[in-house]
Amino acid sequence: MSARATLTASIDLAQLDRESIITFPHGLVGQPHWKHFVLLSDEDEQAVGVLQSIDDNQLSLMVTNPLLVLPGYRVELSADEQASLGLEQSQPPVVLTTVSIRDGLITTNLVGPLIINPRSRVALQVVLAESAYTTNHPIGWLSSEQDSK
Amino acid sequence: MLVLSRRPEQSLVVGDEITITVLGIDGDRVRLGIDAPRRITVLRHEIYVQVKNANAAAAATQPPIRSISAALRDAGQTPAQAQIGAPNS
Repeated sequence: MSARATLTASIDLAQLDRESIITFPHGLVGQPHWKHFVLLSDEDEQAVGVLQSIDDNQLSLMVTNPLLVLPGYRVELSADEQASLGLEQSQPPVVLTTVSIRDGLITTNLVGPLIINPRSRVALQVVLAESAYTTNHPIGWLSSEQDSK
Repeated sequence: MLVLSRRPEQSLVVGDEITITVLGIDGDRVRLGIDAPRRITVLRHEIYVQVKNANAAAAATQPPIRSISAALRDAGQTPAQAQIGAPNS
């Protein structure tokens, strides 16, 4: 129906300026007020970051680069989604997925990735409704060992 | 909840911009056609709930920084904090 672009999550967290505001104009799915965040990440650690809300200091989301979880991970954006992000062909977006830990199991939501325009820092949570991905794709277990040796 | 009965090919209008049409009924499945502006996201309810819950779960997950700090303290390595730089120092 409309032109679709398939993209791979090929950009890591280093592409985003630290501590500049990322805006989700419509919030996240089911959370319309979750709009303004900064990405906090360790300079040496590109695997995991934290999206910290600047509206609510109690709100933070752990995020990862889904390509580290699933190397073939692909996101399809509709022409409208691309337009609302203001994406140009030459400007691939940053793709992050949220991370949860429940009873020690670390999972990531591959159905609802966060797509960020690295230039404008406008962002959108898209829902890959027709994909085979899950909202709780296992990454691994939180190690309870304090000393692995 | 507003409850309406519709036959195949009949429609509902929600606001000025959204039209939902019953395209057909096959046993216990109803096929719906939805005309809405593209900026309006239309999702199956189950998927909406799954993603909403995943967002809530992510927000409820604290980065395990505190548990790592606690583990370090339990291990008697409190002086190491001085090297890392405690955030409230």
